Amino acid sequence: MKDNILEIDNLHVRFSTFDGLFSAVNNVSLELKYNESIGIIGESGCGKSTLSFTVMRYLASNAQVDGAIRFKGENLFDKSEKEMESYRGDRIAMVFQNPYSSLNPSLTIGFQLDEVSMHHQNLNKIQAREATIKALEMMNLGDPKGIARRYPHQVSGGIQQRICIAMALLCKPDLMILDEPTTALDVTTEAVILDSIKELKDKLNMSLMYISHDIGVINKVAEKIVVMYSGEIVESGPKQKIFENPSHPYTRALINCMPRGGVVKENTKLNTIPGYVRKRGADEGGCPFADRCEKRNETCESLYGTKEIGEGHFAACDRAYATDVPDTFIEKLAPKKRNVDTDFDSEKELLKIEDLHKIYGARRKVYAVNGINFDVKPHSVLGIVGESGCGKSTTGHMVSGLFKPSKGRILFDDVDVSIAWNKRDKETLKNIQLIFQNPGRSLNPSHTVEKIIGRAMQKLANINDVKERREKIIEILRKVDLGKEYLKKKPRQLSGGEQQRVAIARALSISPSLIVCDEPTSALDVSVQASVLNLLNDLQLDTHVAYMFISHDLNVINYLSDYIMVMYAGKIAEYGKRDEVMENTHHPYTEALLSAVPEVDPTKQKKIIELEGQLPDPAKKITGCPFAGRCHKQVGEICEKEYPPMVRLSEDHYYFCHIKP
Amino acid sequence: MKRLMQLFLRRLGSLIATLVIMSFIIFLLVEIMPGDVAQMILGQSATDEAVAALREARGLNDPLLERYGRWVSGVAVGDLGDSIYMQGVSINSILWRRVGHSMVLALTAFLMFVPLSILLGVLAGVKEKKPADSVISFLGLATMALPEFVSGVILISIFAVKLNWFPIVSVIPIGESLFENLNIVVLPALAITFVMFGYVSRMQRSSMISVMNSDYVRAAVLKGMPRKYVIFRHALKNALLPTITIIGMNMGWLFGGLVVVETLFGFPGMGSLLMTAIKTRDVPLIEACVLLITVIYSVSTMVTDMMYSFLNPRIRFQGGQK
Repeated sequence: MKDNILEIDNLHVRFSTFDGLFSAVNNVSLELKYNESIGIIGESGCGKSTLSFTVMRYLASNAQVDGAIRFKGENLFDKSEKEMESYRGDRIAMVFQNPYSSLNPSLTIGFQLDEVSMHHQNLNKIQAREATIKALEMMNLGDPKGIARRYPHQVSGGIQQRICIAMALLCKPDLMILDEPTTALDVTTEAVILDSIKELKDKLNMSLMYISHDIGVINKVAEKIVVMYSGEIVESGPKQKIFENPSHPYTRALINCMPRGGVVKENTKLNTIPGYVRKRGADEGGCPFADRCEKRNETCESLYGTKEIGEGHFAACDRAYATDVPDTFIEKLAPKKRNVDTDFDSEKELLKIEDLHKIYGARRKVYAVNGINFDVKPHSVLGIVGESGCGKSTTGHMVSGLFKPSKGRILFDDVDVSIAWNKRDKETLKNIQLIFQNPGRSLNPSHTVEKIIGRAMQKLANINDVKERREKIIEILRKVDLGKEYLKKKPRQLSGGEQQRVAIARALSISPSLIVCDEPTSALDVSVQASVLNLLNDLQLDTHVAYMFISHDLNVINYLSDYIMVMYAGKIAEYGKRDEVMENTHHPYTEALLSAVPEVDPTKQKKIIELEGQLPDPAKKITGCPFAGRCHKQVGEICEKEYPPMVRLSEDHYYFCHIKP
Repeated sequence: MKRLMQLFLRRLGSLIATLVIMSFIIFLLVEIMPGDVAQMILGQSATDEAVAALREARGLNDPLLERYGRWVSGVAVGDLGDSIYMQGVSINSILWRRVGHSMVLALTAFLMFVPLSILLGVLAGVKEKKPADSVISFLGLATMALPEFVSGVILISIFAVKLNWFPIVSVIPIGESLFENLNIVVLPALAITFVMFGYVSRMQRSSMISVMNSDYVRAAVLKGMPRKYVIFRHALKNALLPTITIIGMNMGWLFGGLVVVETLFGFPGMGSLLMTAIKTRDVPLIEACVLLITVIYSVSTMVTDMMYSFLNPRIRFQGGQK
């Protein structure tokens, strides 16, 4: 017992609401040793965050708690609010998902860090500032004194999160809880932050509780893994065992619905988990996953208990250990047969972009897109990938007409459409459609699904007969796996995945020839993301539409694309057919991006190329290579001075770098 | 600071533009009001010839723009013209005394309702859904629902008639100044407090609630900061921003638009002067009063905006991002 820093015993957290009592955390027991890191994984609504806030004793007033949380042997539920204050931030520190909103906008960063050590260690102002500077230095932040004087909005998201971690480190806590700390960040920043977390954990002898929905991230930082579903632990054990032998159907489903290296649309249909996480009543028994499990039988509804499968490896499924063939639970799904010819070389391009520029602002100029050339072939999927701020969304918005390009031409079917949407003709508007990142916000909340889909048909396809339109809408809803009953629903009655399906249906309803998908799956859970990706893929096979698919997630891009375009600072870094770009990478930035993607398979540990610094200031015009400042392969002065020439490797694989192949 | 200066100059420019446009609109409005000024001066029994002669003498027959130019150039050098009703008396000699009275009243009311409603608003927000919150929210709603002429009458009947603490009518005896009769300010100021309290405390309450539910307050609590410290150092500064906007938007009303309150109490301020001017169709006086009120509104809005951007570092240091 002595070597456990945290013990949670039969913890129940229930919330009483108007609809009755529902259970957010149910019968959770776990142990965390000194200097151990535990990863908690699950989709949203599975009680991960509630669990972590319960450890901090920070719960809404309608919460009812039962059980015990022992920190170094002392039950935190016996402590008064005053006593808890001396634990929070001092012995147990927490880092949150959204660094921007977790820092007070009207206080300087230094002030917000100083107060922690002033309160917990009774330091005076000068000593506290010294401690602050030291903590900031520990997070490898250049110019810590300058940063301490700034306000949170004056530094970038990646630095904000490092500041939040520095804040948590100030009192050298024994336990650090990280609640999705890198979810809002770019992969390259994420890789750097995960590395420094790992390093500091060993340096300061901390225990970590790391919460994430991303298996790859958990794989990087955790030694032990806990899989939560609907408030209960369904599987727990050492990392290796869970990855090698995932035993609970939910764990397997979760791992299988992540697109990852080698998984592409031609060879695999992503696994999905039908349905959604149900709110559980307080007294409901049985397996929480039963209603979504493909392998359920009658006993699942009533019988539920955790059993040890291997040493330290527990799973809450009756049949978890009944077999030793892993694939008996999840069959590999065969993809729909592709009848589209994947040889695009001979086809005439559908969209042709020539020297496209976008400059925002009049006096303070922001160079968002700086002269790019590319084209999209009919029926193909072009994946555009890059860090936030690289101009990929701006490019998509210019193609769809939301912004007018500052310079350059957009040729769609040989027609120049480099004008704003309100000047485009109906035919072009109909042919280029857009799907946004956040369906909850891009669908009009006061319109029904029928009206949302029907409006585009009415305006652009001239289908004015109500009856005819309704039939078409029902047909298109069926295509996106939604039933007739959705016609009269409004967006807020739908789940995130259903909303995105409606958005896709709206875009498809007038049979466009190009759909610009702007991060359509980023706001969704992995299992929902898988089903949306499957849907997009199947729809493309049926309708022969072309996609311009914009995402920051290289795995998603890899899964769905035929061509990949890597963008950096408003310029193209590398462009080519998917397999060529992924396997025969040439641009150093593409290499860095690929190396930063967290690996799901624990047996493969790869070397990460850490990108220090930030994107170049978009307010300055860059004459040299925009990536020069962060490049790990910089060849010399020429990188800063001269824009690199295009190096053509094949008909359609090229990159911009001074390094020759 | 350079940015703040820039902001100030830009706001000043738009303020002047607003005033020029407003002065023209005011002039036009008074122009289309029914009734002839010359007729009014001479009375109902005046002959047509006399009226025509006076019109000519006063330049009332000149084109609109010429008369507007004459008025504006007078205003620009501080000459507001003469009152028509009180013949020969210059407006400057009546108006500024009244403005001073109004300022005293507004300031008293301001000192009463601002601390009170912010304090109670913060308390209600922090104690959301607790008894203290219910009481304060009810008080706010109740006082807001009562128009000032109703709450004023209630105040008079309690404090002036029953308790006899304050005079019933806020009149300054001839030959004395307001400062010798400060007790007449209390009841009108209370009536204003009644009106403002509901608005401001409700705004303060809701912004306090949203700030207390924000991520950064949660982060501060989970850093182990004591609750009082979190409320006053972390939450309050952010929660004050919307309240300042609301108060600033009402400053104009407070300094120049208290027509109802001043009339009810007979307080010799600008509001009651405007009321008299309208009743007696004293055109130059109406114009002067309305223009002054416009100035006060615009200036107070500008001050609010400046204060808002000073308190909000996101505006103050915008573009400071590296």
